[in-house]
Amino acid sequence: MTWRDFQRLQRVAEVRDTFISYLEDGSGTPVVLLHGIPTWSYLWTPVLGRLTRVARVLAPDLPGFGFSDKRDRFDRSIARQAELIDAWMDRIGLESAVIVAHDIGGGVALRLATLFPSRVRKLCLINTVSYDSWPIELMLQFGHPGADRQLSAAMAVRLLKQALKGGFAKRPPSDLLDGLLAPYSTEVGKLSLIRNASALNTNLTTEIAPLLSSISVPTMILWGEDDLFQPIAYGERLAWDIPAAQFVRIGGARHFAMVDRPRAVADRLRTFVTGG
Amino acid sequence: MQPVAGSRAFELASDDLRARAADLVLTLPALRTGAPVGESQRFQIEGALALYHYVNPKLLLFTVLVRRGLHGERTASGQPGATDLAARVPFGAPRSMAAMEMVDENPSDKRLRRLFSDIKKTLQLSSINSDYRTLALWPDYLEPAWGALKPVVQTEAYREAAVALGDHARAAADRFPTPQGFDLRRLGARGEQTQALSDVTDRFERLLPPLILNIGLFGRDWWPDGRLRSSPFPLTETTRMEERP
Repeated sequence: MTWRDFQRLQRVAEVRDTFISYLEDGSGTPVVLLHGIPTWSYLWTPVLGRLTRVARVLAPDLPGFGFSDKRDRFDRSIARQAELIDAWMDRIGLESAVIVAHDIGGGVALRLATLFPSRVRKLCLINTVSYDSWPIELMLQFGHPGADRQLSAAMAVRLLKQALKGGFAKRPPSDLLDGLLAPYSTEVGKLSLIRNASALNTNLTTEIAPLLSSISVPTMILWGEDDLFQPIAYGERLAWDIPAAQFVRIGGARHFAMVDRPRAVADRLRTFVTGG
Repeated sequence: MQPVAGSRAFELASDDLRARAADLVLTLPALRTGAPVGESQRFQIEGALALYHYVNPKLLLFTVLVRRGLHGERTASGQPGATDLAARVPFGAPRSMAAMEMVDENPSDKRLRRLFSDIKKTLQLSSINSDYRTLALWPDYLEPAWGALKPVVQTEAYREAAVALGDHARAAADRFPTPQGFDLRRLGARGEQTQALSDVTDRFERLLPPLILNIGLFGRDWWPDGRLRSSPFPLTETTRMEERP
């Protein structure tokens, strides 16, 4: 599916002072897919088809990302993102869901699981941020307010495209890579992404580390084992700290495990979602 | 310009100009653009149209006043404008206004390049306006919308409406004092490119009335007549913004 086709399928919900675009497809157990930075919900396309056969999939663009609100006037921290996802679930009448998250989406998911536990039926973390694993150097540089003056949108996209290649075990389809960065190819999109990067804050995962032991829902930690951005040791530590967690290594995959090994990731997710 | 443009009177005069533009739009054929866009896209396109529907009448009024300031003209009637500028509006964009996002003027997408070229040629533009560059974020919308608009802009009724709107703007500007301190003679003495300033102001004054009509025609597909006539961000909303910490 091209990114434009994906965009055409997105619905919208106005949430507080902002709006969230999201894809909804399939029926059954609700599954919310949370992407990371610098992507958007289009990231999930490699696993979407297999997942929607067994579940009602909802994939929002976090505010500031993709085709959700990109105005320069709100907090994009994962703390605020968790509050907005909670409000979005209210808005669309979703009481709880299986939360599947990648990268900083995992920071949002961990805050949901610890601070809004009634929202989370099950939790799956795929190569997510945690503890002090983030922000990575690239995002620290990108999030400098001066980046807006130094980089045109075209330059920013070129830079990110090059840097992101390190997140894949093998060369990703060029359409997918172009699509992942498409929302950031305008000046507004670029600035929004810079603001998102500026909002990355280790404290927002370290402060909840003591609460991880309170997560009681079934949890799967799924990790592309060759991840250079979020090393696997962090996944192992999460699996140790979260009582009901199982740890699954995905061989031949880096940070974007759902792109490197879509079938393996989708099959694991299906079993996890539909299992007792 | 700040004392004028930041006044409540300027905001209300722009609202009135927008309403007059809507009346003119309603005399023209409706576009009835059917576009294969999704729910989120519709939401965002409507937000973009609201942005330009709000901003363009203000820009037109602003441009007329700037041109008068440059040339040291008094009002059309020769009398100084007597509007009270003491009441101010809050600084900044209305809270719910969309971001002014737009594609590159020279997009890599062949379909957009073709579309921009046709728009420029038909409307005799030297460069493509922000408005179309914003709507080009949704080419599946802009393409049929432009296809429906193109025959309308080539009619005599449309040309007359654009002239009438320009006249309305100049009459509205009469209510304001001519801004002082930047006439061409003074700017020339400072080494500014006075001819370029004069040309660009004249061009804006000529281009904005049809652009306002075009956005109005696009907007008519989305909004009832009453909404087309009113400000997308009425002063009560911008006033609320002022109260934020």
